[in-house]
Amino acid sequence: MSFLAPAAAVLALTLPAILALYFLKIRRPTRIVPALHLWPDQIRDRQANVPWQRLRPSWLLFLQLLAAGVLVAAAVQPVLPARAALARHSIVLLDASASMQATDVTPSRLGDAKRQVNALIDQLGPQDRMTIIAVASSARIVASATGDRDTLHRAVNGVIASNGAADLSAALAMAAGLVRAGDDARAYLFSDGIVQPLRASFAAGLPFPVEYHRVGVSGENVGLTSLTVRTGAQSRAAYLHVQNFGQQTRSVSVEWRADNHLLDVRPLSLQAGQAQDLVLPVPSDATSVTARLAAGDIFGLDDAATAVARTPRAFRVLLVTAGNVFLEQALRLRTDLQVDVIASAAYRPSATYALTVFDRFSPPVMPDGPYLMVDPPAGSALAGRQPVGIGRVRAVDAGDPLLANVDLQDVHVARSQDLRNSTFGRPLISSLQTPLVLVRDEPFRQVLFGFDLHESDLPLRIAFPILVQNLSEWMLPPSVPSHSFHPAEPVTIVPEPGATTVTVIRPDGSRRSLATASIATFADTDLTGLYTVEQSIAGKVQRSWFSVNLFSDPISQLKPPDRLTLPPTRTTAVQATHPGQLEIWPWIALAALTIVTAEWLAFHRGL
Amino acid sequence: MAAALLEPALLRRLESLALLVRRAVSGQMGGERRSRRRGQSVEFADFRNYTPGDDFRLIDWNAYARLDRFMLRLFVAEEELPLNLFLDMSGSMDWGTPNKAATARRLAGAIAYVALAALDRVRLTVFAEGPTSGGAPYRGRRAAAELFARLQSFPTGGVTNYEKLVWPIGRQRPGMSVLISDGLGQPSIDPALMALQRAQQEGAVLQLLAPQEIALDWSGDARLKDAETGLEREFTATPLTQASYVRALTQRTDEIERAAHRRGLRFARLSTAEPIDQMVQITLRQIGLLG
Repeated sequence: MSFLAPAAAVLALTLPAILALYFLKIRRPTRIVPALHLWPDQIRDRQANVPWQRLRPSWLLFLQLLAAGVLVAAAVQPVLPARAALARHSIVLLDASASMQATDVTPSRLGDAKRQVNALIDQLGPQDRMTIIAVASSARIVASATGDRDTLHRAVNGVIASNGAADLSAALAMAAGLVRAGDDARAYLFSDGIVQPLRASFAAGLPFPVEYHRVGVSGENVGLTSLTVRTGAQSRAAYLHVQNFGQQTRSVSVEWRADNHLLDVRPLSLQAGQAQDLVLPVPSDATSVTARLAAGDIFGLDDAATAVARTPRAFRVLLVTAGNVFLEQALRLRTDLQVDVIASAAYRPSATYALTVFDRFSPPVMPDGPYLMVDPPAGSALAGRQPVGIGRVRAVDAGDPLLANVDLQDVHVARSQDLRNSTFGRPLISSLQTPLVLVRDEPFRQVLFGFDLHESDLPLRIAFPILVQNLSEWMLPPSVPSHSFHPAEPVTIVPEPGATTVTVIRPDGSRRSLATASIATFADTDLTGLYTVEQSIAGKVQRSWFSVNLFSDPISQLKPPDRLTLPPTRTTAVQATHPGQLEIWPWIALAALTIVTAEWLAFHRGL
Repeated sequence: MAAALLEPALLRRLESLALLVRRAVSGQMGGERRSRRRGQSVEFADFRNYTPGDDFRLIDWNAYARLDRFMLRLFVAEEELPLNLFLDMSGSMDWGTPNKAATARRLAGAIAYVALAALDRVRLTVFAEGPTSGGAPYRGRRAAAELFARLQSFPTGGVTNYEKLVWPIGRQRPGMSVLISDGLGQPSIDPALMALQRAQQEGAVLQLLAPQEIALDWSGDARLKDAETGLEREFTATPLTQASYVRALTQRTDEIERAAHRRGLRFARLSTAEPIDQMVQITLRQIGLLG
């Protein structure tokens, strides 16, 4: 045991002072009474003002000495060594992601983690500091390098669970930024271990060690992992994927609703690990479909799923080509595109098309709007220099969202125009010899292919329709995308021409107004459910919808891993840790309060 | 002098009261009380044969004419009531506000005046460590002033000793006795009450206490000094010790009341805070001493 305020021991002088007061004799006024024998023989010294008398045993004296002694003990703030090994700077990474809402521990995984963090805060020494980072889809510092326990407790207790995944990489990067070289720091991760994969950049290690404190025990969960509405020639149907992630057979029922009207309830029995697909016809006038699982399991976030049933507004696309079945088919894969194909001779500039695709043809005047130019004829404004033979094809930036899921490993190009001197835009796909595909945002989103698709095996690869899909969605983003998003995923909303107001109504009924002048990114999507976008156009309100669902197998699995692969420690400094301190003075002060109360009662009862 | 002890208005109200006796009394002089003896009054009691020496004025001549025998008409004798007042003037009575001794004097004076107004004979005895006679018996309303003066002349002081009352009580003829005391003397009051019973005294024990000793009006530390013995003791008045004192006082009162009832005597606990008028008109009527 050690003491945080040993100087307070001087207060122990109050004990002999109390004792001395009892040695003093009371000056009592004389009162004449008719019959002394009726008065009880009880004397308690309450005041001392004349010296001296023999010390009498007294409960009050005992209680006062005891209270004073206990108060002095509390004042010196004794501390006991605690179990935790603390560094001078403790960095707490508190997982506040969706899976921490699981209730396999009481009250929840996040609640249990908070309890553990609060216990750690109580063990901080007077010189120790702590930083608390809430880990969700983004990392957020809720308390920065402070030793103030009240601040830390408030910060921890103020953390609420989000519906997004845990981006541990962002949190570790943030923590690393807080630690200077040579700092005595240590990180404590309170998590169920269900985090997004760590980025490769951490392979070099962190400047502090990370301790993983596992929270949660169970993975018994049945969840909905996919819900889509597909429109066929005759009808529409909702496709639902239900999976039992636990180790026990579960009987559940699925409740279907369209625009909150009950359609069907289906019982379902799922073996351990079993998944099942359900199909339900959707009424033609339905706006949204909701599936709800009456599972009553430890995780409610994946027990409901919502999908938008309305088909998005179609765009008209003009393909000007002498004949390119690859390009035409790739464009037609997108259901909200209405593709018209014409020969180059028939081309007339028209404002009715939202996107124009020129295949080996360049008009005298390029349209004011998005277009995709493939292999512009020599001599045209966008044409490059003489074609060159192409070797290996590669992505300029593999992380570019325009190349998401585009595999260029087996793609070959025979030859391409030399676009090295082109000022069209930034290269998207390139080779050792020349950039092959250029893209630009201004004045409109436009794409330039430097090679003839027929002189490449790209159209024969699965990468091609995906690339065309990515590029067309980039150039022609739907006003409001109707597919499902993950919680906290940003949603791009393009205001309709003439829209005077754009408002997003969240599932909880709250409204957010967006700017109408430009493409807006709406990121307030932490809640799952149906979002309604209202746009006022010429006095009329036009509504469109998108949905946010968990739809994450890694999160729905819920089972906390026993071990979590964490980055190694990259530091040569000796990690000097010291045991945490458990302050016990509040309990001693409570005992003192109890004794003082007893003394007060004893005084007033005349003991 | 009488006005100094009791107000004239109170005296006038007292004249309408009378001492209530449960049985007939025998006094030395005629009065307004029914006597055990046959005597001169208008109320016929019985006949008996004439024996020489009887007052021949009492011979019923009509009976003689019918029976040819001398028969005496006997009438209920109306005699005085011997009222004995025993008044505690010990040191403990000189205490409280209003003062217990002063109130006891006034109370005794009031009861005595009721008796004097009814031509009863009043004998006064004050006591502390021992009994002191209050002089020759008083009789008639004219004696009231003398009695009141005598009452006021007795000093207070000394230690209560009820046993010393046994002898003077035993000398009394059967009648009525009223003992006024705070009942706080350390020895038991029972010997005196037993003596009253043996002397065929009916009457009452009136315990007179000051309001300050019924409910304590102080707390804290004090050195207590006994008003009679002068003994001292250190004391701390707390709710607990105050409750203990009140319990002891109540216990003492209960003991006196039980002893009084056991001896066929009436009992009342009076507070000096009560006006004399209220004591006499209400409390003493309630216990059946006055009517």
